Amino acid sequence: MTMRILAYATLALALSLPILPVMAAEPGEYLDRRSEIWNLFFRMMTVAFTIGTVVSGTIVWLCWRFRESHPKAKRTKYEEAGEW
Amino acid sequence: MVLEMARPRPIWQIMFSTHHTDVGLLYLITSLAFMFMGGALALSIRAELFFPGAQIITDAMTFNRIFTVHGTTLIFLFILPFASAVGNYFVPIMVRYKDMAYPKLNAIAFWMIPPAGALIWLGFADFTWYATPPYSVISAPGPAADMWIFGLKILGVSSILGSINFIVTILKCKHPDMPISKVPLLAWSFLSSSLIVLVALPTFAAALLMLLTDRLGVSGFFNPAVGGDPIAYAHLFWFTFHPEVYVLVIPAIGMMYEIIPRFSRKPIFSVTSGIIAFILLSIVSFASWAHHMYATGLSFTEKTVFMVGTLAAVPASAMHVFNFLATMWGGRIKFSTPMLWAIGGIALFFSAGAGGVVNSAMPLDFVTHDSYWVVGHFHLFVMGTILFGSVGYLYYMFPYVTGRMYNRKLGNIHFVLSFVGTVMVFFTQHVLGLFGMPRRVYDYPPIPEWIAMNQIATVGAMIIGVSMALFLINMLYSAARGKEADMNDPWNLGAKYYYPYERKNPQH
Repeated sequence: MTMRILAYATLALALSLPILPVMAAEPGEYLDRRSEIWNLFFRMMTVAFTIGTVVSGTIVWLCWRFRESHPKAKRTKYEEAGEW
Repeated sequence: MVLEMARPRPIWQIMFSTHHTDVGLLYLITSLAFMFMGGALALSIRAELFFPGAQIITDAMTFNRIFTVHGTTLIFLFILPFASAVGNYFVPIMVRYKDMAYPKLNAIAFWMIPPAGALIWLGFADFTWYATPPYSVISAPGPAADMWIFGLKILGVSSILGSINFIVTILKCKHPDMPISKVPLLAWSFLSSSLIVLVALPTFAAALLMLLTDRLGVSGFFNPAVGGDPIAYAHLFWFTFHPEVYVLVIPAIGMMYEIIPRFSRKPIFSVTSGIIAFILLSIVSFASWAHHMYATGLSFTEKTVFMVGTLAAVPASAMHVFNFLATMWGGRIKFSTPMLWAIGGIALFFSAGAGGVVNSAMPLDFVTHDSYWVVGHFHLFVMGTILFGSVGYLYYMFPYVTGRMYNRKLGNIHFVLSFVGTVMVFFTQHVLGLFGMPRRVYDYPPIPEWIAMNQIATVGAMIIGVSMALFLINMLYSAARGKEADMNDPWNLGAKYYYPYERKNPQH
């Protein structure tokens, strides 16, 4: 349970990191903030595409590895107990 | 079984019934009929854009009418009623109650849809599903525009009545032994989307009245000629319809929550995180409406606030995706038709979400605004996520509704063709937008890249059209003459069908 909370907290921190510099900008720094927002965009897209690649790859791998016809496929413990 | 194709009941018995499965059946048939009608309009739009210049549609006004009714139909007359169909069938059963809380109100909510649909289709308005002011106020031809406004008004009342019914059924009628945390995630999805409807919809109801009185000339809220402000309409519209996006998508995610554990032969990884993600999405859905309006002269601070508000939906959406993946992890996945649709839906949900991150980032939004990128993004959500989740669930509930089994081969071909077609149409439209093609245009200059991409999109749309024709044949034929389903275990999963499958709700 603690590990799960820790994992969510890390994820939340990682997602909020790119936003922090923009939120910290002072009023009157119009041009700086503009460039900051472009910078944010590129960082966001880098994060989005990296995560996208990982998630898409994971979906494909999950479908391949855990298909019922996979040689290593075995009945889940929930099937044994009839609880799902 | 409920549909009773084998032992048909007189149609009036179903039409005048207030039983939740009968009303659900009416919702289901109506929504599917509108899906095919709206889809046919989409095919005509794509056929028109296959080449520059006029092809099959005679003039720009008719083109505008077609895409207006296409959008209005598929959002308000297909997706929402389809979700209501699923909710009507299963929410009372899931909370172990005999029916919806207010059965007559439930039937009334359904019977508002056909007249509203008739108003929209007979009017065939031309001012987009957004009812763009000041055009809609000053010069959109009546009575089409007025019929559209009345149609939407009726649909809004229907949605509010339906939402009240779902909320009361889930919160007040659930079995006393069932804590709210044990209510299945599909029912949770209806609870959260119904709450969004109750908060969001009255704003648009007011905007519609203001639009109507503007058209009648007794007010000028959105008419710049008399001091009104069309941007005010944009705020009112998007305050309702950005949350409405979540009203559309949340039930589809709830449907995936039913399918994925079933066919992975595992329980959901974390029900709690699913509930939290639904609640978070419901809240943050109201923090992002102005990201549709970056180009309207909002201040930099306002834009930043709404950008962050929009991005706040990312963690909640990611929680759902991770929950699905973690559920599949370590399972023994059977790729039956519903599961194929659900997995396809997850993949496209993620792709659409990535496009949404681009839209929400204001620097790039200025590049993509009102371009085909937006069309691609929106449709990837609506078709790729919501329709995939919904159709997957339709296959899943098919034995329950009809007592028969659909043709599995046709169902799988339907999925493959739809997936390929969806990627061809909507991924291409993203790129088309980046190449600068504006949305909602009847004609375009003969730029080679634009022509090529429009043709790819049109071929993709035709593939989807073929897949939907197969789907229609499959549904009709299987409902009437399909193989009788093994109601204990229709997909040979080695376990009982999840739902009680008695002829009537066992609590009734």
